[in-house]
Amino acid sequence: MMSVWSHRPKFSHLGLFFAAYVLGCGFAQSLAIVPGTGVSIWPPGGLFMATLVLTPPCSWPWWVLSGCLAELFSNALWFHSPLPAAVLIYIANALEAATGAWLVNRVLGRPVRLETLQEVLAFVVLGAGIAPVVGATVGSATLAWFAIQSQSFTSAWPLWWIGDATGVLIVAPLVLVMFNSWHGKPRLSSSQWMEACALGLILLCVAALSLSGYLPFAYIVMPPLLWAAVRFEFKGAAVSLILLALITLMFTISGSSQFAGDPEAQRQKHIMLQLFLAISALSALIVAAISRQHQLALLTVRQSERQLQQLIDAVPARIWSATPTGGSAYFNKRYQDHFRSVIEDFDAVEEPRIENLLQELVHPEDAPAVQATLGNCFDTGSGAAMRFRWRERDGIYRWAECRIEPRRDEDGTVLQWYGVSIDIDDEVRAQEALRERERELSLLVDMVPVHIARMAPDGEPTFFSKRTLESLGMEDVASWDELDRSRLAVLIGATVHPEDGPRMKEVLGHALLTGKPYTIRYRRRRADGVYRWMEGRAEPLRNERGEIVQWYAAAIDIDDEVRAQEALRDRERELSQLVDMVPSLLWRLSPDGEPTFFNKRVINFLGLEIADLDKPGLSRLQAIIETAVHPDDAIGLEEALNRSFVTGERFSKQYRLRRQDGVYRWVQGTAEPLRDESGRIVQWYGLSHDIDDQLRVQEALRERERSLWQIVETLPAMIDCAAPDGEPVYRNPQLRDFLGYKLEELDGTGKSRLEGTLDAGVHPDEVDGVKENYAYSLATGEPYARRHRLRRFDGEYRWVETRAAPMRNAEGTIVQWNVICLDIDGEVRAEEQLRLAQESLARANQAASLSELSASIAHEVNQPLAAVVANSHACQRWLTAVPPNIERAQRTVERIVRDANSAADVVSRIRALFKQSIGTRINAALTSVISEVRNLLADEAARRRVRIDLQIDGGLPPIAIDHIQIQQVLINLIRNGMEAMGSVAGDRVLGMRASYIGDVIQTEISDLGPGVEFPDRVFEPFFTTKKDGMGMGLAICRSIVELHGGRLWAEKNEPQGAKFIFTLPVEAKAAP
Amino acid sequence: MMSDDHVIFIVDDDERIREALSDLLDSHGMRAVSFASAGEYVSADKPDLPACLILDVELPDINGLDLQRQIADGDHPPIVFITGHGDIPSSVRAIKHGAVDFLTKPFSDADLMAAIGAAIAEDRDKRAERAELSVLGQRYRELTPREREVLPLVVSGLLNKQAAAELGISEVTLQIHRRNVMHKMAAASLADLVRIAERLEIPITHSRRVGGN
Repeated sequence: MMSVWSHRPKFSHLGLFFAAYVLGCGFAQSLAIVPGTGVSIWPPGGLFMATLVLTPPCSWPWWVLSGCLAELFSNALWFHSPLPAAVLIYIANALEAATGAWLVNRVLGRPVRLETLQEVLAFVVLGAGIAPVVGATVGSATLAWFAIQSQSFTSAWPLWWIGDATGVLIVAPLVLVMFNSWHGKPRLSSSQWMEACALGLILLCVAALSLSGYLPFAYIVMPPLLWAAVRFEFKGAAVSLILLALITLMFTISGSSQFAGDPEAQRQKHIMLQLFLAISALSALIVAAISRQHQLALLTVRQSERQLQQLIDAVPARIWSATPTGGSAYFNKRYQDHFRSVIEDFDAVEEPRIENLLQELVHPEDAPAVQATLGNCFDTGSGAAMRFRWRERDGIYRWAECRIEPRRDEDGTVLQWYGVSIDIDDEVRAQEALRERERELSLLVDMVPVHIARMAPDGEPTFFSKRTLESLGMEDVASWDELDRSRLAVLIGATVHPEDGPRMKEVLGHALLTGKPYTIRYRRRRADGVYRWMEGRAEPLRNERGEIVQWYAAAIDIDDEVRAQEALRDRERELSQLVDMVPSLLWRLSPDGEPTFFNKRVINFLGLEIADLDKPGLSRLQAIIETAVHPDDAIGLEEALNRSFVTGERFSKQYRLRRQDGVYRWVQGTAEPLRDESGRIVQWYGLSHDIDDQLRVQEALRERERSLWQIVETLPAMIDCAAPDGEPVYRNPQLRDFLGYKLEELDGTGKSRLEGTLDAGVHPDEVDGVKENYAYSLATGEPYARRHRLRRFDGEYRWVETRAAPMRNAEGTIVQWNVICLDIDGEVRAEEQLRLAQESLARANQAASLSELSASIAHEVNQPLAAVVANSHACQRWLTAVPPNIERAQRTVERIVRDANSAADVVSRIRALFKQSIGTRINAALTSVISEVRNLLADEAARRRVRIDLQIDGGLPPIAIDHIQIQQVLINLIRNGMEAMGSVAGDRVLGMRASYIGDVIQTEISDLGPGVEFPDRVFEPFFTTKKDGMGMGLAICRSIVELHGGRLWAEKNEPQGAKFIFTLPVEAKAAP
Repeated sequence: MMSDDHVIFIVDDDERIREALSDLLDSHGMRAVSFASAGEYVSADKPDLPACLILDVELPDINGLDLQRQIADGDHPPIVFITGHGDIPSSVRAIKHGAVDFLTKPFSDADLMAAIGAAIAEDRDKRAERAELSVLGQRYRELTPREREVLPLVVSGLLNKQAAAELGISEVTLQIHRRNVMHKMAAASLADLVRIAERLEIPITHSRRVGGN
């Protein structure tokens, strides 16, 4: 009830419905021209049905109620049927309307638009056909029941049915159209209005003419009616039908209609009228529906065409079509835009050909192929797909794919070409990148110096990298497949070293079972049959569910490493052996000095392991020093070590180390740091060498050396060592003390040490000769011996005898000169004194002047004379003393006698010189006399730069001679010779020859002087060629020689100079 | 009789001469010490007595004249040269350098003894003088520093007043110092003191200003 209430229509609508219903009733009443019948055409039925069709069923009671009121109101106005009959008739009408509405709604659904033929036919059949059956049956039964106007059921039913059907056909479409286009504006153009008006006029005229009977057939009205239905569809049909109904009504009421007639014919005519109206309505509706349907179809086609066009333009592809020959191409908007952006005068192209246009766009490299493909397509009619680059707006080229297909008719003739071009630049580039990456990856897999393999989850190899294949000598992973064995087993059998095979299988089996990665080292046979060590690793790849999808394995050739490691191990073992076997104590310390390694010998020597050194409170180093190092050396050693640790300097020290048996032995410990690149000390490597024996030997040697040294240092002789070139390198203290300076003080003076020593020390008179002799010895290697004066530190020149001898090595090369220098000053002076007397005598006979001679004689004589005088006075004194001292006088007199004799001696000797008296003759060797004289004159000769060339025959017999006299002769002759050569520029050689000829010994003294002018006169007394000579020398010489029984004469020397020759008989005659 | 108050040194290389001279001097009662060389003489210990040196010109190690020059600086006995063959230049040189005599061998006893006598006397004088000077020097050294300052002022002839003003002390003090100086230096009078000062070669620093204020 509530739902009915809530679906109550607006009262205005209900009111309108009521009014329309009443008007419809009035219209029906006015057309009810047939006597005995209530109504003919029943418009309210159409109104009622249309209303119910349009309204929801819930609101139907309201409409039924409203219709009931309108019917009863109309009944009261016009029909005047009894109320039960009226109610029953209304029930028949309501049933009819409800049935029709229900059926129409049921079949057509909501809303009912009546726009298709199907709808119209359904509406006509259900609404206008079947529903009036219900109304007609109930209504006719009511009429017959109440016998209203004396109608029988059979006579009333057709009228009722056709009246209701006509009402429905005429009114319901009108209501439906009105309602449906209620909200839509009337969209009629002015021409349509005019057409509608003209059509209305024609309809009116035709209807009027035909109904009025001027025209023979009422159906002449059909063409305009259908025209309206075609042109204006339902609106036109509904309006035209209403108009027709109204005109018919007018003419029927007026009776001028051909349907009006006599009451007998009226019934027939009434049916004809109703039929006329029904057929007109039916035709018009159907035509309108067809027209409507056609219009709708047209609209739909247009709509879809527009959508298609939009689709074509909106689809992100470039689409074209062309005639079978490729001409008059169509391009979609994208294509056109593209062309316009690239081709300047695209719009000017009249008949675009796809080839030509593409030609403009396609990359020059791709153009020929594109051209050929297109040409081929148009020639053969087969489709194609091509890829090419074409130019885009900004000049860049992008990849595109173009596919062309022909549309053919049933015969297979090409009707149209269709093409679509898609920009695939990104895809192409992506593909290229992908390909590049794939190639790179493949390259990577092949090039990476690792053998890569992929295995199925069950371990079967499914892929080997190129390197793997090459290494194994396989062409493909499946090359060696066998039927009855797994590939893995075959491979392991063929390539893995038999010793490694079982292990490999085990490891692999375990890995495959557990899914854990594995690593294994094994030997693998290379294609050339060589087994090489490999390190294989594999890891599984799992999918999202954790199942193993693949195994990826990599094997690296580690043969070289393995062999290197083996070699390293061997070397390490060897080194370790070396370290242990080397006969020395090797150790290693950490940078802070903690022992980290002892070689075996250290351990054996000490009887300690490193671990034994760990003592509480002591570092290892301290511990070992405390245990093993001699207590006297411990502090020094620790200091030295610590110093090295701090400074990083090399450590070297000798110390005593306690051997296992408790004996301390001297060792030489050295250590050097090992530094890393940054210079930081990493380790200390140390070596302690047992030098105990060596040290003892050294000690003994040192002892010996010291004693030798002491000998050299303390020997009462001056000792000097010199380098092979004569440079002094050592002087013993005696020599140093004598000279008063040290060897080093000679350095830096600009002279060599030797020269410095000689210049400073040797007497200026002798220095040249000494140098000469030194030079000679140094040059020849002959021993050196010489006497000379040497300056002592206090400035005194002392005679020394220097002897030097070379010390030679095994090859005979001089390595050192050993020099001994003896102070012989005392001896020399003694000799000198001795000689002085002789010399003074020797010189006497050749004194430069008589006065000198006399002075000399005076001195020699005065000396004893002075003594004699003094003694005499003394004697006198002793004798005159009181009492006389006889004893002293006696002694004095003895001396007087002695001295007087001495004076007499001198005088007699002098006399002997002049009186050619002969002295005591002693048998002597002439050779020794000559040598003496030579030595006596050596200094003088050196001073005069004269070389004395001495040749003495061996076996000279001794002869009886006055030693001194012969000496004087020799001295005289030699001096003469040397003086004669004083002005000679060249060699100054004084020749001396002594030979035994017959019974005489002949002595020759030759010089290279100017020679003797008067060989005989020179021997005369007081004959002299010298400026200050006395002319006595040669005279004395001749007298001495003759006194000895010999001869003295002068000859010319060859090539120059003079030669003085004297002979001495071997059997000397006694002096007369 | 042997005299102990003087000694004669003989330096001669000829033993015969040494013997003869020693004997001769012995016979004169003189003590003689002989040396064979200059070196021996120089290095020998010699008694501190008036002495005479008889020196041979020709010596083995060094010429007698050179020895004279060498020892000229020190106190040495007067020298009597003897020579085997004297020449005039040598003798002149010897005498110029203070030799007492230059005797040529053989020489007479009288000449020798005269020369020795002169030499001894000379040496004795020299020694006495040296001794006196030594005593004076000793006395001078005993003076206090102030007295040593006073001494030159006094011997310069300054009045007590002037000397006191010079030293910035009172006249009375100066007189005390002066008396002490006189006493210590054993000077009998001011003249005596002046003589002593002269011998000690004390410089006279001030002269008495005449015609002063």
